[in-house]
Amino acid sequence: MCESRNGCRIRILLLTLVLGAAFACVGCRRAPTEEKVIRVTRNIGGREGFRTHWEAWKACFERNNPGWKLELIDLGNADGAQFYKSRIATGDLPEVVMTWSMADFLADGGNLIPLPDCYYEKFGIPLPTPYKGKRYTSQGGRQIQGIIVNKKMWADVGITEPPQSWDEFIAGLQKLKDKGYRPLVYGGREWSAHMPLMCSLHMNLYDYEPDLTKPSWNKLKIEGKVSFAKDPIARMIIEKMIYLLDHFVEKGALSDGYNEEQRDFYGGKGATWIMGCWVGGDIEPNKVDFEMAYWPMPSMTGKPPKFFSNSTIQNGWAATVSATGPKLEKAMSALEAFYDPQVHQLFLNGEAMFKIAEKVPIKGPQSDWKPAQQLYDSMAENLAKYGTATGAFIGLDDQPPHGGEMAAARVMQEILAGNKDVDDLLKKLDYGWESAQKAR
Amino acid sequence: MHSVRKRTIVGKCLASLALCGPAVFLYSAFVVLPAVLGFAYSFTDWGGWVNKANFVGLENYREILRDGPLLDAVKFTLFETLLIVIFFTFAAMILAVLLDRLRMWKGLIRGLFFYPYVLSVLISALLFTYMANTRTGAINVMLRGAGLESLCRDWMGDPSLVPFFIFALVAWSGTGFFTTLYLANLQTIPVELYEAAEIDGAGPVSVFTNIQFPMLIPALTVNSVLALITGINLFSHIVVTTQGGPGYRTFTVGYYIYWLGVLNNRQGYATAVSFVMFMALVGIAGVQIALIRRRDVRL
Repeated sequence: MCESRNGCRIRILLLTLVLGAAFACVGCRRAPTEEKVIRVTRNIGGREGFRTHWEAWKACFERNNPGWKLELIDLGNADGAQFYKSRIATGDLPEVVMTWSMADFLADGGNLIPLPDCYYEKFGIPLPTPYKGKRYTSQGGRQIQGIIVNKKMWADVGITEPPQSWDEFIAGLQKLKDKGYRPLVYGGREWSAHMPLMCSLHMNLYDYEPDLTKPSWNKLKIEGKVSFAKDPIARMIIEKMIYLLDHFVEKGALSDGYNEEQRDFYGGKGATWIMGCWVGGDIEPNKVDFEMAYWPMPSMTGKPPKFFSNSTIQNGWAATVSATGPKLEKAMSALEAFYDPQVHQLFLNGEAMFKIAEKVPIKGPQSDWKPAQQLYDSMAENLAKYGTATGAFIGLDDQPPHGGEMAAARVMQEILAGNKDVDDLLKKLDYGWESAQKAR
Repeated sequence: MHSVRKRTIVGKCLASLALCGPAVFLYSAFVVLPAVLGFAYSFTDWGGWVNKANFVGLENYREILRDGPLLDAVKFTLFETLLIVIFFTFAAMILAVLLDRLRMWKGLIRGLFFYPYVLSVLISALLFTYMANTRTGAINVMLRGAGLESLCRDWMGDPSLVPFFIFALVAWSGTGFFTTLYLANLQTIPVELYEAAEIDGAGPVSVFTNIQFPMLIPALTVNSVLALITGINLFSHIVVTTQGGPGYRTFTVGYYIYWLGVLNNRQGYATAVSFVMFMALVGIAGVQIALIRRRDVRL
């Protein structure tokens, strides 16, 4: 009886083990992958302009590579940091990735495949600053950051040209407020909260044209030779941010994020929005029907106004080490299809960027929707008139840490939450910045 | 006879191995080994997403000693934990007693209280986020509708309100569970005790203080421990609602570790913080167990 019970137990246990092993084998088996597919990441979210570009890119690649498919992995309204981290952890990065601010992070992890110089020469792209001697990314276009304004509202207070200084800008906002307009749309809930502060840091704390023979503020910060807490310009910027948020931002801004900012500005409820040129790509899909202009960032330190641009550093799409064998060749083909004239034109339209690939026979951003085209024209006109500054984005190895923008956003949240202690705010900015810096 | 016993012993050993082996292996592979590796990584500057990790000795632990925001996160976590423990230990008990006294729609009303617990934290937190929106949230819309505009607040943005907002979310979503534990315990109280109390002319308060409360002590112990764990582990509610904001005001220890390790790519330092917090929790658990044992001995 005893023996038969034991024998029965052992048989049950063996059966359990066999089944467990079988399940483990099935679970560990590699998922069937479609061989002739190149996966590409893109931050489309709800932006129709980005989707239109993607469809054209996909069609062009598949036309050039019969039998192969280009598959979209939509990162939504995000830079993909968390997505890339999870894919690195599982060893399954897509073959082509949109790097944006993640380029050095991805390169440091050995995830990217360097591009040859001839790739850039083929399309007439100025060689981006190498990172540790290598170049990895296609370059999108010239992206500028400044201030988008409702022309009618600003004209109503007698201002039709970009303010030449920060104080002039503030005076304009005051006039708008006095006239009953909402002077500024601003949300403090998420990443976009950093925009006024980061733009001000770029334009005032850094040289417009950095002297590469001297260590930049970024490098001095890494070495511990400078800090926001001890920098008089940083102190002045924080003081001006407190004034800006106190006087021109509505209560409850901490509930709002990027989408609410866009809704309010395009809904004609606000006169000014400090935001990058990419907002231009959303005008036609949203059928925004009033005239807008795009102005450069005014300086707080007596310098002329300029747009801020980070397009000289590597920040486009790159092939990853997942692209092996025939997939490597096809990943390169996908990166080349990006510069197909029709595809690239749609890219510039969607992002409201300006062309840098000289050999691609297209113009800057174009739209059949009049307000969108008017904004593009305003951008082009002011870009030619005022030019750009590189700010803190000097190179992939000489730029703010990845968490720097969120550190700035958190300081802006503090101000919105009622913290007016400049020393404490500067200390918090240093803390967030340095904490992110230590990860490099 | 000897060989039969030997075969039995071998069989038992094999059975034990087969039964416990997979569990021990899985536990070692997915819990023990990562914990040991995590401890090892706490002596490095590992970023988490690259293979390179430099040994930095005790530097991470030294940094903890001067980490002001960590101290703020500990304070915030302890404050939330205090609120949560008090609420889930005592308010849930009172609610359970009241629900136990219901004569009509007992099941329905109990079900309604339990319902938020069934929802995922993500849904509850998003619901509260929408309700708290200053301009379009239900709370302020209702206040405005009732002519009480002066009471409208930025529920998630005002530093003096946001700790209570998070507490309200945790309380709303967890009350059902803690109340159910008390309700289950209330069902085990012998009816004779209530009948005797009724004969003696005891009122509801007297019944509660002299019968129900003493009989609920075991459930109170369990609930307080579970509430303590809920408070100390507060993380997912923060990720969905405030992401630690405004500023760094709602960083809990769990969120701080996530922020360091995942968002800021400082896995080495994050594991050092985790290890220190683990040791602190072991200490708290030790004190709690000692207190419970002392009470058990007295009983």
